Amino acid sequence: MIYLEVKLPDIPGSLVELIKPVSKNGGNIYGILHHHDKKINNTIPVDIWFELSDELIEISLDNIKKELIEKNIQIIKISVGSKNKILTFILTGHVFDTDITNTIKTLDSKNIKVLELHAKFTEVDEISSVLMKVEFPEVMTKIELINEIEKICKEKNLFLIRS
Amino acid sequence: MCKGMEVKICLIGMGNVGTSFLQLLKEKRDNIRANFNFNCKLIAIFEHDGALINNDGIDLDIILENDTNLRKNQHWKSNVKAQDLISTLDADICIETTPTNPNTGEPALTHIIEALNNNIDVISSNKAPFYLQYKKIQNLANKMNCFVKFEATVASCVPALSIKRSLIGNTISRIRAILNGTNNYILSRMTAEGISFSAALKEAQELGYAETDPTLDINGYDAAGKLVILSNELLGWSKSIEDVTIKGITKITPHALELAKLDGYVIKHLAIAEKNNLTVEPRLIKRDSPLNIQGTLNTIELQTKYAGAIILMGKGAGGFEAASAILNDLLSIVKKRRGF
Repeated sequence: MIYLEVKLPDIPGSLVELIKPVSKNGGNIYGILHHHDKKINNTIPVDIWFELSDELIEISLDNIKKELIEKNIQIIKISVGSKNKILTFILTGHVFDTDITNTIKTLDSKNIKVLELHAKFTEVDEISSVLMKVEFPEVMTKIELINEIEKICKEKNLFLIRS
Repeated sequence: MCKGMEVKICLIGMGNVGTSFLQLLKEKRDNIRANFNFNCKLIAIFEHDGALINNDGIDLDIILENDTNLRKNQHWKSNVKAQDLISTLDADICIETTPTNPNTGEPALTHIIEALNNNIDVISSNKAPFYLQYKKIQNLANKMNCFVKFEATVASCVPALSIKRSLIGNTISRIRAILNGTNNYILSRMTAEGISFSAALKEAQELGYAETDPTLDINGYDAAGKLVILSNELLGWSKSIEDVTIKGITKITPHALELAKLDGYVIKHLAIAEKNNLTVEPRLIKRDSPLNIQGTLNTIELQTKYAGAIILMGKGAGGFEAASAILNDLLSIVKKRRGF
């Protein structure tokens, strides 16, 4: 995950100018925070989180920086976080019948935070599926995370499909 | 062993692959003679109920003309077994294409071992002997100074194994592959049409893409066997099918596929060799991934140190596809025997 903090002029279209280079260089945007409350000299701090392909991260990041500078967008901070901090997966089975709140709490007790959850089901007590996006601590490896999810799956007879 | 102008071949199993090989050999024999300067002489064909053996050479045109000509031939011997007669043959290369038990590797395993023990080079399209007894076969081949080739066992005529020769100066760090066309067809149809697993399987069976008993495909065993062979050959491992963590595709629902789409993913049944682990399971991959192939195709992604990802893709099954891989193996053995 890449965190980028910039200052944008408070004029229409400036946010698009920020997003363009990120998108053009293969960035998958996770979130944007627009700090209107911190406006100084008609510029607004903006935080943006995005992901780049592992293989191209260095080249893409250089291109993004270069293009932002060309657009006179002021970069305050740019940091590359752990690549393994977010995982998307799907659980199928009796996801609701086996208490999804408990599933989320069990993950939370291991410092695995559920960031997003999407569900598809016909009846609550029927076979259903949920897609979860979780954030896990830097000290935890991806294999350790998957082991934690697999433990829940085994206990609740759920089927894991991970990214 | 096949150092002269003539290469004597023994074929064990004349089913779809065996027959396709003979047809291909017939089609290419002039080309082989002209470009590689040798003749292929078929001296034996073994079937489940007997064998046709003729050291002067079997006439391909007659055998292929009619299904019944094999057993009508004056040299046909009923009720003889390949494993009993291999030692009596003056063959250079034994081509093994019999229907084989996936759990024991037999009778192919015995045929391969018997041929190697008699200093005959081996080409096989049977996976099971190699995912069960890879090390034993390779050790025996080395001991007997024989070649054993099995390109057709993984993704058929896609050069999944022989690419190794082109990557000697590189290092492969990971393999991710789709190695079962049946499963890929089922998942492709479920994704495209939103139909259930059972409906997609039924469709695949009607079209001849899935067996009447599809268990080995849908539970992941077939792909796991191919992954073992691929990783042993390309990564230098010595694994067997017992080392693979296997999950099939039967629990994938249309709901799961819809959810995957929401976040830009598709679900594919991947075979993965990485960090000394072998896994076959459904995985979420990005929609724009080169592994997101459709229908019955196979694909293999080799993550390499110097070239990045190298992708191979093509038809992973079929008589002529396998026959083409066998013929490539044959030419490769002859070239090696001649010191190329």
